[in-house]
Amino acid sequence: MFLSISLDRLGDESAAQFKARAEAIEALAPDLVLLARDKSGVLAPPRVEALVDIAWMTGILRTPAVAAALPALHALPFHVARALSAADFLSAGRAAWLPLLGQAASFDAGYGTSLHDKDTAARADDFVRATRALWDSWDDDALVLDKVSGRYLDSTKVRRVDYRGAHHATMGSLNAARPPQGYPLLVRDLDDRPESAEHADILIGTDLPAAQPGVVRLQRVTDNLADALHVFREGGCEGLHLASPDAIDILRTLRASDPASAASSDTELTARARFALPQPVNRFTAKVPA
Amino acid sequence: MTMTKRPVHLWAFLQGIGFFPGGWRHPLAKPEAVFTRDYYAHIARITDAARFDAIVFGDQLQGRDAAGRTPGRLAAPTLDPFTLLAAMAGASEHVGLVATVSTTYAEPAEVAAKFAALNYVSNGRAGWNIVTTAHPNSPWNFGESELLEKSLRYKRAKAFVDVAEHFWATAAGKADGGALRNEWFDVAGAIEMPSSPQTRPVLVQAGQSGDGRDFAASTAEAIFCPAPTIEAGQDYRNDMRARASALGRDPEGILIMPGLAFLLGSTEEEAKAKHREVLDLADAELCVEYLSESIGYDLLAHPIDRPFPIEDILAACEFPVADMKRMLTPAVEAGTSIADYCRDYATKPRGHAIFVGTPEQLADRMETWIDAGACDGFTLQPGFMPSELELFCAHVSPILQARGRLRQNYEGHTLRDHMGLGRGLEAAAA
Repeated sequence: MFLSISLDRLGDESAAQFKARAEAIEALAPDLVLLARDKSGVLAPPRVEALVDIAWMTGILRTPAVAAALPALHALPFHVARALSAADFLSAGRAAWLPLLGQAASFDAGYGTSLHDKDTAARADDFVRATRALWDSWDDDALVLDKVSGRYLDSTKVRRVDYRGAHHATMGSLNAARPPQGYPLLVRDLDDRPESAEHADILIGTDLPAAQPGVVRLQRVTDNLADALHVFREGGCEGLHLASPDAIDILRTLRASDPASAASSDTELTARARFALPQPVNRFTAKVPA
Repeated sequence: MTMTKRPVHLWAFLQGIGFFPGGWRHPLAKPEAVFTRDYYAHIARITDAARFDAIVFGDQLQGRDAAGRTPGRLAAPTLDPFTLLAAMAGASEHVGLVATVSTTYAEPAEVAAKFAALNYVSNGRAGWNIVTTAHPNSPWNFGESELLEKSLRYKRAKAFVDVAEHFWATAAGKADGGALRNEWFDVAGAIEMPSSPQTRPVLVQAGQSGDGRDFAASTAEAIFCPAPTIEAGQDYRNDMRARASALGRDPEGILIMPGLAFLLGSTEEEAKAKHREVLDLADAELCVEYLSESIGYDLLAHPIDRPFPIEDILAACEFPVADMKRMLTPAVEAGTSIADYCRDYATKPRGHAIFVGTPEQLADRMETWIDAGACDGFTLQPGFMPSELELFCAHVSPILQARGRLRQNYEGHTLRDHMGLGRGLEAAAA
């Protein structure tokens, strides 16, 4: 049973206090930590800006997959693709992202642009597609790093992607190498974005769809732990996302008592390996005949 | 320590694998390490121990390709610098963390929130090198076709900083978080962000042109600039202090930090040999790629032992034609080959001063510049990484400390403390 938990700064918590709480969660060996505000089952971007938070937190959370919750309507693909590439390298392949519509209205005020009523589901999908297109700028093996020959990279393995969508357009090439996971894991909250044409690696929700290959389903647990465990035993999900105020206590209890939730003993796992998810294929290399 | 000596402020400029284009090939360079967290943790710890004021990363918003071809022999920086600095915050206690962020393709809310977050995770050690984006490929990455005209870029930058200041003042409890409207932005209110011992980052600028200098004089608390000679440093510093005074600012509140690349040896001969070695590692093709990237035109498509095909370049190049003509006409008229021009170009990257010598000589030079009023400190650019930075930390910082020029221990916690720039938003109300 995979276990996921949200982590956000509380109240006026100092960085040291926040770090200590993260270390306590790390000790309970969750599979996934969502850097997100999680109030009674509604997710929103965290109080500490998510791309800074994930860079800092992946140095504290040394084993789980770590997801940055981003405002899907306001974030720009080029900036996000670069930052998550770096986060994936620094965490040796443990980065994930969670583009959210939730709380978009609270961002509208600061951004001076209201985006939350405008074709929101399509804009969020376009953001995901544009960001993934930029990650295909570089092939997995573009870097050569051979001092003797002087070859730093293979120029034929880096290209402009010229993505043109309804809401975002971006040329590339991205000035960042392809992340170790190809694409960092995409987490989608079905209670936030019920509709999406883009494949998500991990789905979180109250009402989950049937099992499908290449997708990990996490049942949202608020005050319904017994029901959620029942759903798991019936094969309705592969794990739980703990979202109640006492989530850390539930995580501790489950890790201690439920043999099915025994934490992975291999702490060197990439997020994709931990969840047994396939590496995405680069759209440009896929076109090259073998 | 003699307290009357002016201190030397130290910044470590650490983009990529060092200053020299061929440096990544040096036996002591670690090009594979720059993709790992351990490397950045190490760099943060040694600069902290060597009492640097700050680590600085540059940034660009264009792909690394020239006309679609990405250089194959250049060690282009490939990880997002803001992310690296946030990771380094967790591996250090005192050293400042200065991120370069453009105001041209971003929103103030997003940037203000990122710096508030960097200040939060570092307990107040963030700095913002405010730049505008001038590379012609950058707008393409943000769904736009044309660059903003230069004076408009600076107007947007000023308006952008005003909105960001409004958000930070709100986070620090010094403003009401209400609506703010100017020529470029119209925000209804602040977004939530954490406060910290230094909610507003130290504002850094790198302006050279008239527009850039005016903006820096009105906004910057520290300036990163090229200064190839002591006279150039004096002229620039005097000019910026005069501009700041004319705007009613205290000139002591604006520190001038010129770039200084360096290669160190235990003897002068050893350092010079290292310099030759690093220049020799930049082979002809690498040097041509280096210029190609700078001008956005793939020169390797032409025979490099021949003169520049200037008409082809002007027809296809993505940069302003006038700039290209000014840069290349002397070489075209002299019949200089592409390879010869590029070899020379790659020996002195980006117009910064280059020091080659012993730690004592470097300390001497830094003191001379400080005492001549040519600068307040240096933006140090190791010839390659990480061994040259390690040499500086192990051998130059102790000399500066022994001579009373560099703190033995940090006296404060925030970057503004280290730079002697007051308390910012956290100052008690008058």
